[in-house]
Amino acid sequence: MAEQIQKKLQGELEKYQQLQKDLSRAVAARQKLEAQLTENNIVKEELELLDATNTIFKLMGPVLVKQEMEEAKGTVGKRLEYITGEIKRYEQQMQELERRSEQQRETLGRLQQELQRGQGKG
Amino acid sequence: MKLNQLEFVNRKKVESDYEALQERLRTLPNKLSYDIMVPFGPLAFMPGKLVHTNEVTVLLGDNWFSKCSAKQAVELIEHRKKHVRKVLDDLQKVMKNFESRAEFTDLQKMSDAAGDFVDIREEIEDVSIETKGKYRTAHKPHSKPKLSNVFEVDFPANGSDTKSMGHFQSEEELWAHLEELERQEELLGELDRMPNTAETNGEDTSSSEEEKEDKRTDLNGMYRAEDCITQGNFHKEVTNSDLFGGQVNGSTYYHSDDEDDIDVGDNSVPTIFFSHTVEPKRVRINTGKNTTLKFSEKKEEANRKRKNSSGNGHATPELPNIKTPADIYRFFVDVVNGEYVPRKSILKSRSRENSVCSNTSDNSAAEFDDRQGVQRSISCDEATQSDNSESILEEEEEEEEEGQQQLPKKLLPSSGTTEAFSGTVIEKEPLSPSLIPHPVIAHPILPTILERKSEEVLSKASEETPKRISKFKAARMQQPS
Repeated sequence: MAEQIQKKLQGELEKYQQLQKDLSRAVAARQKLEAQLTENNIVKEELELLDATNTIFKLMGPVLVKQEMEEAKGTVGKRLEYITGEIKRYEQQMQELERRSEQQRETLGRLQQELQRGQGKG
Repeated sequence: MKLNQLEFVNRKKVESDYEALQERLRTLPNKLSYDIMVPFGPLAFMPGKLVHTNEVTVLLGDNWFSKCSAKQAVELIEHRKKHVRKVLDDLQKVMKNFESRAEFTDLQKMSDAAGDFVDIREEIEDVSIETKGKYRTAHKPHSKPKLSNVFEVDFPANGSDTKSMGHFQSEEELWAHLEELERQEELLGELDRMPNTAETNGEDTSSSEEEKEDKRTDLNGMYRAEDCITQGNFHKEVTNSDLFGGQVNGSTYYHSDDEDDIDVGDNSVPTIFFSHTVEPKRVRINTGKNTTLKFSEKKEEANRKRKNSSGNGHATPELPNIKTPADIYRFFVDVVNGEYVPRKSILKSRSRENSVCSNTSDNSAAEFDDRQGVQRSISCDEATQSDNSESILEEEEEEEEEGQQQLPKKLLPSSGTTEAFSGTVIEKEPLSPSLIPHPVIAHPILPTILERKSEEVLSKASEETPKRISKFKAARMQQPS
């Protein structure tokens, strides 16, 4: 009886750990996205400062590709939106993970109690 | 908090970089072309020209570039700097928050730490007290306040709890309080608390005044954890400890009230050294005549010094290190015709006068004080303080360095004056240092061994040796006289 409980406990523990890992990964990704977000914001602002006379380039690998001002602005704007979307997605993911890890914790606690009871009896 | 600081520094750097860049950009268009050395790989340069000085390709971030004039680039930089400054400000705010929190926690920690320390001290004290009691039952041990393990924190002026050091105050206060309590205990229990008052100024007074002084004394931050075996003069010890603590000459000069003031000033940064050295316990044994402690000489010296300097204090400057029951016997040595003869029974009390161990309070105190004073004087340039002597003695026993070196010098001169060696002799000489290195000496051979040991010890401890030898010599010189 106790062994069974222990096995179950192990299983739940692993699941919990997995959840934790996912959570941390999500957090890291979100942080990265946040950095990109700020940067793109700066780019946008700087583009505003520039006027049409100067050329804008985009670095694609080893190549600097010429871009139009409007094009560049458009691209940057789209990128910004994409990033914000990603962030939201990650947020949701994180919440989900949190909820599940909570559940796991509960089950773990329950199982531990059972184990102790079983051991006590035995 | 540290992280924040690091970030802060980084950001500052970035901002300064931007400033430099701006400057460069401003000067760049001044000339049509520049002659420069172009880096050619990581190791070589090539002479070249910098043309089109007004065109700058600026990285906007996220792999976006723009070609613009120098002036425009400058504007871009300005814009970026604004961003950086904003981040800096945020960081500063966070740091402030951290700081305030840190202060709060630090205070807590300090008080907690002090509490911990206090606890520790108490334990030690208890032990000492226990041991003391043992001796008491055997004979009337005249316990001199050995340098207690008391943690002596520089406690400037008893009364003043105000310590310059912020954190330490709480600790010190606690310690001081603890010391006081201990002292009180000792006073109550102690039989022969030598009226340390008299003498030595600081020592005795401290004891009497105690609390205040005690605090002071030891605090010089030097915690001489000399195991003071139930030193009667607990406070003395404290003071002594102060002395020790005040290795700094004069700094730990507690003995007299006046001293206290001085000490107070000297209280250096409280440093706590818990060194459990054999306590130089001075045990006064009401033994019959001719009972002498090995280190009676020292006591004599101390006493002499004391007498020279001040009134009477505790005679027994050093308390002997008693680690084993055998040690007790060692201390009960009779002086017969100037020679040490182990006593058969340590319980028998001979005539007080001749007994070394007998603690005629005055005498012993005096001796003790003297010793202390001697020692102290050396360290503190004041001979009289009995406390000093005690502390010094303790120091010696403990093999403390500093002041001790000076002691021998002092002792020598004092040897000339015969102390009331006849009367009170501290049975337990603080042969602790010697004892420490040599665990136990055969009983019958006590006198010689002791001496030898002392000598050995002396030889060992470069610093101490001079003292011991001198003390012994002095004592010996006195004895015949």
